Amino acid sequence: MTDLPASSAGSTTGVGETATHAAAKPMRERLVWLIDHFKREWQIYVMLAPMIIWFLLFLYKPMYGLQIAFKDYSIFWGIVESPWVGWEHFETLFNNSQFIRAVKNTVIISALSLIFGFPVPIILALMFNEILHALYRRTCQTIVYLPHFISTVIIAGIVITAFSPSAGIVNTFIGWIGIEPVYFLTKPEWFRPIFIGSGIWQEAGFSSIIFLAAIAGVNPSLYESAVVDGASRWQMMWKITIPSIMPTIIIMLIIRIGNLMEVGFELIILLYQPATYQTADVINTFIYRQGLQSGQYDLAAAAGLFNAVVAFVLVMTANSISKRVSRTSLW
Amino acid sequence: MSAVVLKDIYKRFGAIQVVHGINLEVAAHEFVVLVGPSGCGKSTTLRMIAGLEEISEGTLTIDDRMMNRIAPKDRDCAMVFQNYALYPHLNVAENIAFGLRIRRVKKDVIASSIMEVAEILGLTEFLDRRPADLSGGQRQRVAMGRAIVRHPKVFLFDEPLSNLDAKLRAQMRAEIRRLHNRLGVTSIYVTHDQVEAMTLADRIVVMNDGRIEQIGTPMDLFMNPVSTFVAGFIGSPPMNQFKGTLANDAEGASVTIGGARISLPDTVPSDPGREVIIGIRPEYVSLASGEATSPVAIKLDLVEPLGSEALLHATIGEDPFIIKAETFGDVSHLSGLTEVHVPAAMVKVFDAENGHVLNREPTR
Repeated sequence: MTDLPASSAGSTTGVGETATHAAAKPMRERLVWLIDHFKREWQIYVMLAPMIIWFLLFLYKPMYGLQIAFKDYSIFWGIVESPWVGWEHFETLFNNSQFIRAVKNTVIISALSLIFGFPVPIILALMFNEILHALYRRTCQTIVYLPHFISTVIIAGIVITAFSPSAGIVNTFIGWIGIEPVYFLTKPEWFRPIFIGSGIWQEAGFSSIIFLAAIAGVNPSLYESAVVDGASRWQMMWKITIPSIMPTIIIMLIIRIGNLMEVGFELIILLYQPATYQTADVINTFIYRQGLQSGQYDLAAAAGLFNAVVAFVLVMTANSISKRVSRTSLW
Repeated sequence: MSAVVLKDIYKRFGAIQVVHGINLEVAAHEFVVLVGPSGCGKSTTLRMIAGLEEISEGTLTIDDRMMNRIAPKDRDCAMVFQNYALYPHLNVAENIAFGLRIRRVKKDVIASSIMEVAEILGLTEFLDRRPADLSGGQRQRVAMGRAIVRHPKVFLFDEPLSNLDAKLRAQMRAEIRRLHNRLGVTSIYVTHDQVEAMTLADRIVVMNDGRIEQIGTPMDLFMNPVSTFVAGFIGSPPMNQFKGTLANDAEGASVTIGGARISLPDTVPSDPGREVIIGIRPEYVSLASGEATSPVAIKLDLVEPLGSEALLHATIGEDPFIIKAETFGDVSHLSGLTEVHVPAAMVKVFDAENGHVLNREPTR
């Protein structure tokens, strides 16, 4: 029970004071409640503090620098002293064929990753769930989780080696069926399949953990009831497991759509070359080249801001559609 | 004809044996309740009948067909689970139809079956709702609907009312019994609640530690428990039990408890000096003296009024003693109570060593 201060708990007032007192009382009570709450739960806030500090330092403070997207920024003048130029950088960007190409590539690579990559962890989780032998299941899971823990540089090395025209395993295989070696990583048409495929190989197993956890949460009685009703394992998967984990699938899809404009550019930088820019250059690699390599920080900030706004609109739209259609949403 | 027969059924989980050779015959159209404390093996037995657990040893037949190796779907049983097992993503109609859809029954047959079941269970106005939008009682009815829509040979109920509050439980209990009277399907019902067992069952199977203690009609179990376990389990409040030594004198067999001589029925074998446990049902203790009753001095601790009746918590010497007395709402006269009367004919006598009854009456 919360102890109230004597003034608010038992005071009497004249008629004229009643209105102001009535308004002030809840405010005072709320303050007292808040103080009591902090005194009681301070440990929780101490635990929360590092995360809040991290957010403030690395996500909120940099927002201050976003203004350089609207300024003619110079490192000698600093953010505040640099003159405002309005939408000039955005106009430059949209008149730049490289940026338009990067936006197009980002959307295409993200959409293909979503279409081909998003279902794979779900399918893997469903398959793991059907393996009855515990040791065999654990072994399979470990094998598919492993690539997640390999550094992107190593992954790039593996991909480069695998698709090497001289000694790569892929060219060796296709050599056996009489096809001439192909230098895949210099062919624009092969970049997207290789990039998306290696991404799925690296992350699908680890991403399946979330869906496996969701499957583990399905009430076992539902399966038992279905067994008594005569359902096969295939029917149980379609009619119980998948509908039961649908809220998790939708939440993950919303998050994925929110990250649609965030293509993992480290792997692209490690794999692409001018010969494949046509299909490989994405917004983040464009920002990297303009901002860090050419020193055009303001133009790069404008590109980054554009990227963030599109991602924000996408996640809001996906969340709102999901809330209407499936009653599941992030917020 | 027996609908379900369990013969020497054993169940082992690895090295642990949980069911120790059960023999049970359930007649067609009969309502049998398996009752016992948690962990006694009643749910495991039911799950073995459903096919959800393998039978380690013994034979199970349903309608004279051996079922040990038959898949659950081919046993023609329908099961109602403790937590209802309703599919949260399906509405009431879809939940009821699930089993029929799985079996690829024609759509028009499914539609008419849903309506028929919904009318029986009073669910017609909830057919479009999802389980999350239903009350506990409505969910329970949907679970029953899903079972009855298939017209199975046997209904299996696994503590279906244990998630409901007391009032709803009493209401649903009556509904289940009415439904059984109407459909006449052989039913096996598991519960740990002896009130449910008493009110629902044609016959009750009392289980303890993986074994059947006693099978009988509710009144048979109440009047003639074969052991101290059944005596303590059936009846609310349970039978009072006191340790004592058999004595025989000119007035007949008796046991002295807390200084009071309690006369025993003539059916008790004469065996002076034998250590026994006597059982006295709280309902059969009289506040007034009568023919062939033994006066017993008590110390009254507490009176719990229940409306027309009251529970009197007393002691005889050091032993607790509960009496259920008709009071018609007035408990004022009970405060000075120091003596009650135990009718000799209603005293049960059990062997102190193995707990078996010594004066079993013929089954009524």
